Amino acid sequence: MVPFDFTYHRPSSIEEAVRLFERLHKQGKTPLYYGGGTEIITLSRLNLTFADAVIDIKHIPECGVLRIEQNELTLGAALSLTSIEKANPFPLLTKAASEVADRTARNQITLGGNVCGQIFYRETVLPLLLADCHVVIAGKEGLKQRSIHEVFQQRMRLEHGEFLVQVKIDLSYVSLPHAHTKRRKQGKIGYPLVTVAAIKKDERLRVAFSGVCPFPFRSKAVEEQLNARHLPIETRISRALQYLPKPILNDTEGSVEYRLFVLMNALSDILIALEEG
Amino acid sequence: MIGKSVIRKEAWEKVAGRAKYTHDDVEGGMLHAKLVTSPYAHAHICEIHTEKAGSVPGVRAIVTGEGLPLTGEDLRDRPPIAFDKVRYHGEVVAVVVADTLVQAEKAANLIHVAYEPLPAVGSPREALQEGAPLIHENLANYQKGKYSYPEPGTNIAHRTKIRKGNMEKGWAESDVIVEASFSFSPSDHAAMETRCATAEIRQDGTIVITASSQAPFMIKRLIGEYFGEDVGKVIVHTPLVGGAYGGKAPVQLELLAYLASKAVGGRKVSVWNTREQDMITSPVHIGMEATVKIGCTADGYIKAAEILFLFDGGAYSDKAIDVTRAAAVDCTGPYHIENVWCDSLCVYTNHPYASPFRSFGHCEQAFAIERTIDLLAEKLNIDKLELRMKNAIRPGHTTPTQVVLNRSNVGNLPACIARLRELIQWDEWQRIEINSRTVRAKGVSCGWKTSTIDTDASSGAILTFNPDGSVNLISGVVEIGTGTKTVLAQILSEKLKMDIDDIHVKMDIDTQTTPEHWKTVSSRGTFMAGRAVLSAADDAICQLKAIAACVLRASAEDLEVGYGKVLLRDDPSIYVPIKDIVYGYKYPNGNAIGGQLIGRGHYVLRHLTPLDKETGAGKPGPEWTMCAHAVEIEFDKRDYTYQIIKAVSVKVLNRKAALGQVMGAMSMGLSFASRETFFFDRYERILNAQLRTYRPIRFGEHPEYMVEFIETPQIDAPYGARGIGEHGLIGMPAALANALSVAAEVPLNELPLFPELIWRTKKGKQHGSI
Repeated sequence: MVPFDFTYHRPSSIEEAVRLFERLHKQGKTPLYYGGGTEIITLSRLNLTFADAVIDIKHIPECGVLRIEQNELTLGAALSLTSIEKANPFPLLTKAASEVADRTARNQITLGGNVCGQIFYRETVLPLLLADCHVVIAGKEGLKQRSIHEVFQQRMRLEHGEFLVQVKIDLSYVSLPHAHTKRRKQGKIGYPLVTVAAIKKDERLRVAFSGVCPFPFRSKAVEEQLNARHLPIETRISRALQYLPKPILNDTEGSVEYRLFVLMNALSDILIALEEG
Repeated sequence: MIGKSVIRKEAWEKVAGRAKYTHDDVEGGMLHAKLVTSPYAHAHICEIHTEKAGSVPGVRAIVTGEGLPLTGEDLRDRPPIAFDKVRYHGEVVAVVVADTLVQAEKAANLIHVAYEPLPAVGSPREALQEGAPLIHENLANYQKGKYSYPEPGTNIAHRTKIRKGNMEKGWAESDVIVEASFSFSPSDHAAMETRCATAEIRQDGTIVITASSQAPFMIKRLIGEYFGEDVGKVIVHTPLVGGAYGGKAPVQLELLAYLASKAVGGRKVSVWNTREQDMITSPVHIGMEATVKIGCTADGYIKAAEILFLFDGGAYSDKAIDVTRAAAVDCTGPYHIENVWCDSLCVYTNHPYASPFRSFGHCEQAFAIERTIDLLAEKLNIDKLELRMKNAIRPGHTTPTQVVLNRSNVGNLPACIARLRELIQWDEWQRIEINSRTVRAKGVSCGWKTSTIDTDASSGAILTFNPDGSVNLISGVVEIGTGTKTVLAQILSEKLKMDIDDIHVKMDIDTQTTPEHWKTVSSRGTFMAGRAVLSAADDAICQLKAIAACVLRASAEDLEVGYGKVLLRDDPSIYVPIKDIVYGYKYPNGNAIGGQLIGRGHYVLRHLTPLDKETGAGKPGPEWTMCAHAVEIEFDKRDYTYQIIKAVSVKVLNRKAALGQVMGAMSMGLSFASRETFFFDRYERILNAQLRTYRPIRFGEHPEYMVEFIETPQIDAPYGARGIGEHGLIGMPAALANALSVAAEVPLNELPLFPELIWRTKKGKQHGSI
């Protein structure tokens, strides 16, 4: 069970949520915004997370939006992964979402929770990084919209008291050629050994990774090597691997060497699929 | 009735979500315990500070290990709560009792224990090395059972020796010899219901325990023995159990519940494992290292086998001694080998302590043996099923413990192999390249098992009747999910020629009123309890006939029982309804004869003997059931990943229930073989004690299962039924490893068979622990 007492708050507007956070913080509490809450349940049992007040953002209307308007797809942070899968507004995101955890968990896990979570795989951020999406963040000063690249470096760099409200994706990205592959230690459910997502825009590949390092990332340098189309695929991949951020994960899911081996094959499949496609 | 698929007696309760398990019994005023466990695998306990915890509101007691008696079924080496030192990560160091679970958890988090870490022992081979840290310095002084042979000054808790024939002769007759080593780490049972117990000590000293257990009668005995309590004052209840797989055969939390209750003046206390604790604090699936050497003639007849099993018993021996003995008893696999040398060791390590796992040491040893048989076939260049067929053990042969087999006590392995050969179309292909990357391959294995249970293990049954003539069946078998109680009802229905709906089964166990069934383990429920039920039915029939003889003015010999009546054999129109005589018979004038009818029966296994210390000779179990398995896989040569396409295995009373048992066992075997293991860090701490990171096979990941039954009735079993609850599992790990070894063209001798292991082996690198 959750080994600490907490108060539960259910704001119905963004402003109320932000004010609540402020007030709770001033009272000396450690508040936490949340969507699905699966991570709180899992990690609190291990004493790896703490909050004495939780703010449920699922009842804020803006957080539950799924809308296409003026060439822009808007996804609320509190949308469950399965609801995104079902609506399928962004096929690459559907693929990324559908391979997270298991069906029962995905009914709970939200887009915002997966992107902002403590468990470092955050696989649904990969399509967002590739689509240069914008994120709407709520804070003391109201709402702001930023490029995901400004805010997401390894993890969401949110200021104290801020929370992710929405993700906005330019519709032109939604129908681009794409590929997604998730390789696990074994079986069809579990954390990634390596997840690679890619899209092809203007004849150039964009590639994002999870499971390789203790954070998801997109790397200009890696993409540059992979796009050096005058070179054979193997050469491009082996060069790209030299530009991977550090450290490469070495854990119970797999050793460094094996991860890189799996990554090479995954990249090769993706390159072939998108270049021939 | 026998052989029909009937709906389980407890099915409606279960599908409606209303079935009650131990932890569902929440009673007002019940206290809750939280276990404080060790973060170290091996360390001295310097100090335990409980002051802060003690001041948490609601805390009633904090129990620590000082002054407690040592426990253990075959060797008393385990303090119920660690004292002086901890020997595994997750070991209990204190028990906090409070009004609510939340308070208990809060207080548990405030207990500060100062440890001084000690070097930890991470594997049996490491434990046996010269100079390895001694895990039990006092091994020489422990109280032990007559047939446990610890070796003081070492980390050996027990050694079973098998010495049969003449090894020199065996090697001399061998033209070809293969030798290989095998290993896998401890893993989990992952039963849906985590282990739990409650205890209460009444004012008159009666100790009432409720436990999710396979061995309620053992709990009663052990509480009596360990703590000097009158055994008649210990009452154990066991409701439905949500999966056990051997993990609920040991007695652990029950002791803690008893101690906790004692500490709070006898109030009822609940002890319940979180999933994380259930995985590492309570006993685990045993790990093993093994070396097998087999010699054989050029034409494929096995002449000698030298086998070393080093079982990872973990920090305490408890049930592990029995498991390692069971592995030794059937050490050769189901093959006729005249010259056998086997040492099976229960070795102490700083891992969680081991308990039985479905198949009781057999899927483990079969992995080593069946891999070696495949290696031998490859070296001889003989068909793998042919080699197994040639050496299949048959009536007239002797087992490793020198029991002479006959037509009744051994299953028909050649028939199993022959059927398997057809089912998997073995002769069509064994390995085919689908394309440059994809290979399909088949792997086969055989297995056998007897039940090495106590030689005086017994089972009892009681039948009572209702005014409408229906029967209540009371047996000590725990319903652990196997449907055994329904099978017992089927046996009784057949015997009494009565509708199954007129047989009411008592599901719960209450050791005060339920006749004893030794333990619900080892696929013995149907056989032993079935015999006891038949004996009780005979007793009831005899009584029914006696009273009906008076009523009908006929000789009891001329009467028959069935269809709710006692009737005249040669004129069925003359009868008396059972309902009119089960509470005695009342004549029209009001006179009565007879009285309430109670049928009673029991069964004890016959002619079992303990094993000889030096040679292992002895009769360990009543019969051997055989099995043959195959697995078909599709392997990706580039990625080293694979799909299990098909899994195939080889009578029984309730056909669907039997299918379900065998498939469930197959799935468990494949899951164990392909993905289940604990990962330890270099300090032997477990890294994956959550189901996020310890991932058994999920729904949707299953291959096609094919199960066939070949009936070789065991003459003395109820309607010839043999135990099968475990046999679907025995050969699965080996069959999978054999298929993958063929596909990847490299010997795969470790479990689990992660793609990374195949990749590493193929690369020729040593597979180190991660």
